[in-house]
Amino acid sequence: MTQDYKKELKPAYTMLTIMEEAGRCLLCYDAPCSKSCPAGTDPARFIRSVRFRNFKGAAETIRGNNALGAVCARVCPTENYCQLGCSRSGIDKPIDIGGIQRFVTDFEEKTGMKILEKGPATGKKVAIVGGGPAGLQAAASLLQKGYEVDIYEKNEKPGGFLRNGIPEYRLPNHIVDVEVERIAGLGAKFCCGTEVDGAKLEELKKDYDAVLVAVGIGEAQILDMFKDNPYACPGITFLAEVAKKGGEIDLPDNAVVIGGGDTAMDAATTLKILGVQNVTCVTRKELADFRASREELETARANNVTIIDGYAPVEVDGKEVKFKHRRLKSELEIEADLFVLAVGQKSSAGKLGLDTASFEDIHADGNVFVAGDIVQGDKTVVAAVQKGKDAAEAIDKFLGGK
Amino acid sequence: MVKKDLSVEFLGVHFENPFCLSSSPVGNCYEMCAKCYDAGWGGIVFKTIGPADFLIDEVSPRFDALTKEGTPFVGFKNMEQIAEHSLEENLADLRKLKENYPDKVLIASIMGPTEKDWEELARLVTEAGADMIEMNLSCPQMTSHAMGSDVGTNPELCKKFCQAVKRGSSLPMMAKMTPNITDMVPVAQACLEGGADGIAAINTIKSICNVDLNRKIGLPIINGKSSVSGYSGKAVKPVALRFVQQLRDGIPGVPISGIGGIETWEDAAEFLLLGATTLQITTAVMQYGYRIVEDLKNGLEHYMEEQGVDSLMDLVGAANGNMIPAENLDRDYVVYPEFDNDKCIGCGRCYISCFDGAHQAITWDDEKRRPSCDHDKCVGCHLCVLVCPVRAIGKGEIVMKPGRKGSPEEKAV
Ligand SMILES: Cc1cc2nc3c(=O)[nH]c(=O)nc-3n(C[C@H](O)[C@H](O)[C@H](O)COP(=O)(O)OP(=O)(O)OC[C@H]3O[C@@H](n4cnc5c(N)ncnc54)[C@H](O)[C@@H]3O)c2cc1C
Ligand SMILES: Cc1cc2nc3c(=O)[nH]c(=O)nc-3n(C[C@H](O)[C@H](O)[C@H](O)COP(=O)(O)O)c2cc1C
Ligand code: SF4
Ligand code: SF4
Ligand code: SF4
Repeated sequence: MTQDYKKELKPAYTMLTIMEEAGRCLLCYDAPCSKSCPAGTDPARFIRSVRFRNFKGAAETIRGNNALGAVCARVCPTENYCQLGCSRSGIDKPIDIGGIQRFVTDFEEKTGMKILEKGPATGKKVAIVGGGPAGLQAAASLLQKGYEVDIYEKNEKPGGFLRNGIPEYRLPNHIVDVEVERIAGLGAKFCCGTEVDGAKLEELKKDYDAVLVAVGIGEAQILDMFKDNPYACPGITFLAEVAKKGGEIDLPDNAVVIGGGDTAMDAATTLKILGVQNVTCVTRKELADFRASREELETARANNVTIIDGYAPVEVDGKEVKFKHRRLKSELEIEADLFVLAVGQKSSAGKLGLDTASFEDIHADGNVFVAGDIVQGDKTVVAAVQKGKDAAEAIDKFLGGK
Repeated sequence: MVKKDLSVEFLGVHFENPFCLSSSPVGNCYEMCAKCYDAGWGGIVFKTIGPADFLIDEVSPRFDALTKEGTPFVGFKNMEQIAEHSLEENLADLRKLKENYPDKVLIASIMGPTEKDWEELARLVTEAGADMIEMNLSCPQMTSHAMGSDVGTNPELCKKFCQAVKRGSSLPMMAKMTPNITDMVPVAQACLEGGADGIAAINTIKSICNVDLNRKIGLPIINGKSSVSGYSGKAVKPVALRFVQQLRDGIPGVPISGIGGIETWEDAAEFLLLGATTLQITTAVMQYGYRIVEDLKNGLEHYMEEQGVDSLMDLVGAANGNMIPAENLDRDYVVYPEFDNDKCIGCGRCYISCFDGAHQAITWDDEKRRPSCDHDKCVGCHLCVLVCPVRAIGKGEIVMKPGRKGSPEEKAV
């Protein structure tokens, strides 16, 4: 079953089908799609390029704006962003903007286009702590502005949640590799396997003209009642383990996932794809105000995950958990070999001696800047990309760029 | 990001890129032309200007479109005449455009019933600051036979009018041809003899797009009636390309401004390769707006990069030599189609087309739902290649016809 885990679930467009989808686009005046990308992508522009058979121009539009365009094409919750106000909904359904972006960035890769260029050297150096999407985008933007960039990453490889959170059937490692290589090609130096602590941060502050902290919110959390329960595992820990082993993990006979966000859906679908017979996802929220993106919810359902909404765990005894409905008089008891708890994460910034609450401002203190999930705002890849761009902009200004 | 120099020299005038509006409502007044220049077009052929006393009286509605399945505007029919603004207004707009956009190319399109009118109009637009003149010898919907496409089929008349324009102006001048003619070369030749410096082709093709089946009237309906009128857009590209090629064949090296059905950079490149130096567009702009120039330019720049050329002029006419008379084509071999069974999705369209439209050479496996080709019957027409919805059929084995000399390896298929 591991075959499926690594294979992208969503089929790619072909040269023929892409023209059908681009042909559905109405080429709107004052296009709504282009006003609702958090990273300022202009979908109307690149879809029009596809429509007029200028695939390379489409790639330039995407890549010039987003160093992780191929990643976002696959993981963006487009239904909340660019596709939300799509005029085509007035006829049938929105344009599959993510799918078109994926086709274009695949085309870019296949034809070996080199779109981003290193800027003329400023002679200044920036250290980035954390090689997730925020750090990667900031690196790309800074390199284009002519800064030297070193990225300090705790893990063996950069990518953050792109590599150890989002499962491969949604985002193959290969795509992350290509995006990272492109940034390395611009001149970024990666110091992987280097965890930065408070002392190291002080060093970096002295050795570099500026430091960007983009460590994400990767500290796992678990509900108190599951503490020391050998059958319980936090969602991101579980997904990181699956990612690390390429899907080759010991499978439970049946599993319960607790939580109703994207991590919960990913964990539940992953378990199903890997071949677990019974996967039940129990969520406190009711489906009407669900946090997970619709696409993630639909993927979980399409893979036969049982979803029970409105129930919260009240009692645990080894493999047995009792849930109660939040409003109704109703109880539920499930026995499982594995409990995956996707109930949120904590900021990793505390380990660097920084304020652990979420930052309001990109400019934290002195020559230290912050970006990504640890900064207030949406916790999505595309939001991290925009925050990375903002941070690069702020650092450039701070260091006297135009 | 790609950056290539798209500039061309045409009739001694420098264009920052070859893309121009063709004469039509897309370049009808100052505001439109200003927006068009701002959008990045290299030049504009202003809407055809007629003599002061010529009355323009348009119908409503005045357009129709040919559609096919999900595609709107395969072809476009219009019943417009020439500029509806007064001569003074048009000249004032030309003047203002040249003042505010000195580096962009401004071309005045003119048309008149008499030699005197042509001469006078040429003089007026020259005074107004145009960089070049285009003679509209080709509008198919003028109500007077002294004006319009009938003129464009008469070489002597065209020559006289060209001479008149040359008397009125020393600006470079191109004559715009009608495609409603079997052979364009004699007319173009006459125009060059009359002083034209280049040829613009094509104007619209006389057409009826659709008929209202209940009311039994062609479209568009104007108080219960309709008329034959000009057809343009993507559907006319093949006709336009044919004329461009034949002009270059008949009058080697003739400078051409190519027009007809250009929408994408690929269309544009085709016109260039067949010998056009500048490119003019109307229908695609009417449908999509001036913004199409962004992808036309950028796409062409990428094409130059792929082709390794630094000047567009290196591409102009590069395909002319590869169009030869049909009787000179190599008829010694057959290229059999090759079926990729993994790509095939089993629709059977190739089978239907081969049986009903070709040579019954495809055998259909009912069980597996897969085609196979019988080389004894297949003539290598490649109808199947064109109908396959997933491009599962390609060029396969090349075989010499019995008794012919040469070998398959030397054939450029
Ligand atoms: C399971 C899951 C699914 C998701 N699905 C989606 C989705 O479909 N679409 C979407 O848009 N978003 C999704 N997200 C959210 C998205 O992944 C995050 O918003 C995004 O990755 C945040 O980027 P970041 O750079 O701020 O942090 P991260 O991606 O967390 O990267 C932080 C990096 O910093 C490194 N680091 C941490 N501490 C240190 C240290 N002390 N020293 C050195 N390095 C350190 C980490 O190893 C990591 O590589 C998902 C998240 C999860 C967990
Ligand atoms: C609505 C309309 C009006 C036109 N008016 C003129 C005109 O006034 N003078 C002229 O020379 N050609 C005129 N044309 C012809 C165009 O300039 C052009 O030659 C023709 O439409 C083919 O190009 P296209 O396929 O890009 O539209 C007109 C075309 C259209 C569609
Ligand atoms: S809003 Fe939808 S239909 Fe309109 S331009 Fe954007 S993708 Fe196309
Ligand atoms: S396109 Fe404009 S001018 Fe023409 S009918 Fe519609 S609203 Fe009127
Ligand atoms: S037309 Fe193409 S897809 Fe259909 S049966 Fe023939 S080869 Fe297969």
